[in-house]
Amino acid sequence: MASTAKTSARFERKRETRKSVLIIDKIADWVIRIGGLMVIVAVFGIMAFLVAVVVPLFTGGRVISSTDKQLEIGDAPILGASVDDYHTLAAKIGADGKLEIFHIATGRRLQGPVLDFGGRRVTAFESTFDWRDVAFGLDNGSVRFGTVVIAGQVITAQQLPAGLQRLDARDQTDGTAVYSTIPGNQFRKIGVTTTLAPPQAVAPEGVAITAIDYHLGGTAERPTKTFVSLDANGVVRLSRAESRVNIMTRQVRTTLTTSEMPMLPQGAVAKKAVTTDKGDQVYVAAESGAIYRFDTRDFGKPMLAETAELLPPGAKLTVFGFLLGEQSLVIGGSDGTVDIYFRLERANAGTTDGFKLVRAHRMEPHRGAVVAFSASQRGKLFVTADAGGEIWLRHSTSEQTMLKLTKTAGAESYRAVLLSPREDGVLAIDGRGKASFWEIAVPHPETTLGTIFGKTWYEGYDSPTYTWQSSAGTDSFEPKLSLVPLIFGTIKATFYALLFAVPVALLAAIYTAEFVHPSVRATVKPIMEMMASLPSVVLGFIAALILAPIVETWISSVLMIFVALPLALLVAAHLWQLLPIDTAVRLQGVPRFAAMFVVLMLTLWLCVALGPAFETAFFAGDLKAWANGSIGTGFGFLFLVAMPLSYLAVFALTRRFAGGWILDQGRALRGARAGAFDTLRWVVSLAAAAVLSAGLAGLLTSIGYDPRGGVVGTYVQRNTLVVGFAMGFAVIPIIYTIAEDALSAVPEHLRAASLACGATPWQTATRVILPTAISGVFAAIMIGMGRAVGETMIVVMAAGNTPILEWNVFNGLRALSANIAVELPEAVRDSTLYRMLFLAALTLFVMTFVVNTVAEIIRQRFRKRAVQL
Amino acid sequence: MPATIEEAALHTRRIVAKPMPRVTDLSARGEPMTWLLGGALALGCTMIIGFLMLVFWNGIVTFWPKQVPVVTLTDGQVVAGEAFRTEEYRLGAEQLKDLPAEIRTRIAAASGFASRTLYRTGNYDIYNEDFRWVSDFQVAKTEAPRDIFFFERLEWGAFVGRITSVDLAGTALSGGDDDRLSRAHIQARARLQRIRQIEHDEIGAANYAVEQDRLRVRRAVLSYGEAAPEVAAVRAEVEKRAAGFKRDYDALAAEAQRLKADDERYRITLAEIGGREKTLKLSDLVRFYPANALGIFDKLAIYLSRWGEFLTDAPREANTEGGVLPAIFGTAAMTLLMVIVVAPFGIITALYLREYAKQGRLVSIVRISVNNLAGVPSIVYGVFGLGFFAYILGGSIDQIFFSERLPGPTFGTGGLLWASLTLALLTVPVVIVATEEALAAVPRSMREGSLACGASKWQTIRYIVLPRAMPGIMTGLILAMARGAGEVAPLMLVGVVKLAPELPIDGFFPYVHLERSFMHLGFHIFDVGFQSRNSEAGKPMVFVTTLLLIALIAGMNATAIVVRNRLKRKFVGSQF
Repeated sequence: MASTAKTSARFERKRETRKSVLIIDKIADWVIRIGGLMVIVAVFGIMAFLVAVVVPLFTGGRVISSTDKQLEIGDAPILGASVDDYHTLAAKIGADGKLEIFHIATGRRLQGPVLDFGGRRVTAFESTFDWRDVAFGLDNGSVRFGTVVIAGQVITAQQLPAGLQRLDARDQTDGTAVYSTIPGNQFRKIGVTTTLAPPQAVAPEGVAITAIDYHLGGTAERPTKTFVSLDANGVVRLSRAESRVNIMTRQVRTTLTTSEMPMLPQGAVAKKAVTTDKGDQVYVAAESGAIYRFDTRDFGKPMLAETAELLPPGAKLTVFGFLLGEQSLVIGGSDGTVDIYFRLERANAGTTDGFKLVRAHRMEPHRGAVVAFSASQRGKLFVTADAGGEIWLRHSTSEQTMLKLTKTAGAESYRAVLLSPREDGVLAIDGRGKASFWEIAVPHPETTLGTIFGKTWYEGYDSPTYTWQSSAGTDSFEPKLSLVPLIFGTIKATFYALLFAVPVALLAAIYTAEFVHPSVRATVKPIMEMMASLPSVVLGFIAALILAPIVETWISSVLMIFVALPLALLVAAHLWQLLPIDTAVRLQGVPRFAAMFVVLMLTLWLCVALGPAFETAFFAGDLKAWANGSIGTGFGFLFLVAMPLSYLAVFALTRRFAGGWILDQGRALRGARAGAFDTLRWVVSLAAAAVLSAGLAGLLTSIGYDPRGGVVGTYVQRNTLVVGFAMGFAVIPIIYTIAEDALSAVPEHLRAASLACGATPWQTATRVILPTAISGVFAAIMIGMGRAVGETMIVVMAAGNTPILEWNVFNGLRALSANIAVELPEAVRDSTLYRMLFLAALTLFVMTFVVNTVAEIIRQRFRKRAVQL
Repeated sequence: MPATIEEAALHTRRIVAKPMPRVTDLSARGEPMTWLLGGALALGCTMIIGFLMLVFWNGIVTFWPKQVPVVTLTDGQVVAGEAFRTEEYRLGAEQLKDLPAEIRTRIAAASGFASRTLYRTGNYDIYNEDFRWVSDFQVAKTEAPRDIFFFERLEWGAFVGRITSVDLAGTALSGGDDDRLSRAHIQARARLQRIRQIEHDEIGAANYAVEQDRLRVRRAVLSYGEAAPEVAAVRAEVEKRAAGFKRDYDALAAEAQRLKADDERYRITLAEIGGREKTLKLSDLVRFYPANALGIFDKLAIYLSRWGEFLTDAPREANTEGGVLPAIFGTAAMTLLMVIVVAPFGIITALYLREYAKQGRLVSIVRISVNNLAGVPSIVYGVFGLGFFAYILGGSIDQIFFSERLPGPTFGTGGLLWASLTLALLTVPVVIVATEEALAAVPRSMREGSLACGASKWQTIRYIVLPRAMPGIMTGLILAMARGAGEVAPLMLVGVVKLAPELPIDGFFPYVHLERSFMHLGFHIFDVGFQSRNSEAGKPMVFVTTLLLIALIAGMNATAIVVRNRLKRKFVGSQF
């Protein structure tokens, strides 16, 4: 007894669970629960991140700060002004010929260089687009060129001169230049330098120049100055000064040629004149609002090409100038109108050179007269100021008013308004010397829902279009970012891919689930699933480099396959029906399947051999020329396309009206004769369908409908046909696997009951199994569609990458996914293009999200119903 | 009327036993539609089998050394090269009108088609083209001289021609002394190997040490400021080491110089078929053989040696020649890293779905999310990987840990780590689905038994369920690897490059460089096919790479299927 007590004491186990086990259990519980829910976080996290990157595209502009200072400047009216990149200094040219410089943040006037005009009065002034080079028109009819450059230079702390006066927290000055503190213990010295060239006579002596427009062009070795001048007599002259620098002596030799414009029609008072860099057009604006366009492509013989009345009667033209790129002409009127005009070629222009000024954009009108305007040096932003002191920042292409800057208290209407070179500041100076400065941020002015999804009128285009063209060679290029061509490309690729893949995959799935022997299915299923594991880069490579050239050479044979294959299978089926029923049942499994393979091979060989004959019969002998529209009619193609439809129509009609009679006749016969009768019936319906189809095609052709230019058109090697076939490889296994699973999952007892009632396997498949599994089949198609939408590598390689909006199957396309893959590696982080590509990714994500969620809900409901059965 | 029961029975049987008319209702059999169904399946099978055969055939045959015929054309030109491929083509009207009459009739008889052969003439530096089309009607004479050699070079691709002279450090070699030539060639290659080793590995190590020192100084400057005493101390330390490094570097550079000078003395002069000569160093030749004078075993030897080079060598000539070892390495490294990341995430989610979650709204949403993750296009993952992982996470890591290397990004751009994370996100659904299946296959009785013995839930999972489910989980991981190895689109954005200067795993600390860009087999296919100077020349390389990639993926899938079948066999019928 004592020993058992001792042993039991030694081996006594604790009843309680160890603490560590409980703690670990609890930790595991939490970790696994949270980990499981992380999937939801992942999906929504991705979506949220994409949205966060995209949202800044639509936020418009904002004002960061605004200051206004009373400047210590003279009373002379302002002729022109400029500001530097960093908003430190501004330079103002007054009508008295004086150059005044002031510090923007404090308004303090600094000592600037003196421009000596030799006692002459300045009557006109203009600078080039980048404000560096200037031209002064004098009261004696001469013009003086020069430069007014506000330049910055980085110096170290050691190089900083002593005795500087402090202006504000950042800047100090020595009276002429400003020293700004920048990070890294350095300073930026900003000062103004000027040059002034000797005068050149343009107008006759004593006639003042009243307006001037100045452009620089040519090359570094041979710079050209092009300028147009308007004198007090109303004569407009276009001049070109070409300078040659002698490399050895460093002497500059300038030759000036001038051409006089024809006189304006009676009564017109010219107010301003504008020309382009090349000097090929001169626009003269009259006070009444009429624009006179002179064609000066032939320098010696200018002619009046067009007279345009661009403002309503009664309104005067107040603002007139080009935006960056010299394609958009900005017209501002005394009634507040702000319009943008393009010079476009028009068929019924009514002008001497076939070009016409067409209004492209109507901007939001000001309430008062437009008094000043400044264009951005980088893009299509511009600023307009009106008589009431309002300054509005606008973007021409997207027709937006980005910011409306509230006028500072007590300011009169502004005399000069400037948009800073980096599009981050607006400076305005009014008649009494008050300067207002706003620091702004307008990161993505060119994108709105309208420009992304609607038609936009870009410079150089005849009408509003959907265009995607994100980069080109020149600096003044305007990126055209519309997603519509890309979305269209995705839809086109998906449509043609599904058109090929869905019939093949579904029919194959039904056959695998219902008609094949289990051992054959065990071989066939892995073979089809092997298609799923092929990487799409391999598919794309084969499609683009092997398949596309073969299809191009043998296009007629390829098209013939679409027609010949179903026909051959039907012929073979009817021949098979001639077999006695016992043989047919015995050979039902593998031998019949093998026979189908044989028929397939024979048809392919036949198509290769008869391709040219097919081409001659339906496509007038040369398919590429036919597709181009050069030869033949659309009759053959329409006939082929209408055949399946008319065959179905004939089939339905025969069933309805003669079905009973045919069945009775067939039942009365035996064996091979029944087969022969059925074959006869089929041949007759085929002939009837051919007649119907020919009639339909003839009708359509006679009323002028031609499919070329629509669904078929010019042939390109890497086209949608090839892409559709290659995407078939990617999509078919997905649809096949899911549809086959859905069909196999139908409960066996349904199948058994149907067969027991005497139905044939075919009747069971179509009337019992397929309707039960229809939602699974539908889900399979949706998931296949999701895959086709997202497919990238095949489209990058085989689709030609042309963002066009045509349904032509022989043409290329550019899809959202391919576009992202090609352009994102080179997009600057956080630029407009970067965010647009994220928007494209978001669009793709949303499209597949919707499709997959719908498919999943249907699939879950299908599972529930199948369980109920 | 039947009188007795027997008569009644006979009567009934006679009524009942009246034979049914044997009708042949062909429309019920639906034979035509069945043939369309079967035809679709046959088409699908033919597509995949044909595709695989195409890739297999083109890939297998690529490295086999071909004959080099010398073709004399009707206009006197001579073309020598490997016959690359032959095709039928249709002649345009302008081409037809320059031809003599009997050729035109022959072409017309063949419905406008003629055949032409693409010859790989090589000698790009002399001819300015790699290939030449020769139509069958242009050929006057074809012969296969035994002294025509096919040379593979380090630069400029292939050379087709004859050997004019060989100069081995002053000794000229006589015409037929092939043995001595091949021995000298082997020595020259070994010398080149040694030069490369010195420059890449040894001088590379010295450069690495110097760079580390520079970063040490910069880090000190950034943390303490330019004038601090710590900085001066670090600089002094670095100075001391610098002398030693310079000495090492000079010695190595001198040795490399000596070897290069020695190498220069072994030269070979080649002449192309038109007579123009070119002199090369013997070490510039990778391989050469008399194309028309090889026996079957010689050809086999060359074939196997080319395969060996393909699998173990680095690429050259802008990826169109040489091997794909860096790509194989990069693919393997990325896939392994991806599996390490995806396994815990996928297994935990599957455990949640199967063991911990109650059926209801939340589980539905999780399942829908899993299916959505599966359906999201792979390029969107790439965009997310670039924008979030590389720019935001990587940028922050750079700011905090690697500020001395700025503005050059370390983690702030695509690399091995971000690519693996992106692909892990992409393949998570595969692992989840496979793991769920594996967990479901573990019989409930086992779980119940374990719980009945007093184990806690986690103990059950850890000791009973997971080990039993391990084969299925392995299947899922292998399938995920197969999927990851084949995806290219997201990798184009997050870290794969055309030519990586170094492998992501090497001998310098920290040995696994997660920030480096790497090469990938799938991207290699895209790059060689579409971004090389001559995609025709690149096609053989692409086929072989495709064959390799498909073999890898098929191998992984087959392993997964075998493991899955073994699992099924193990558990079918195992109840207790």
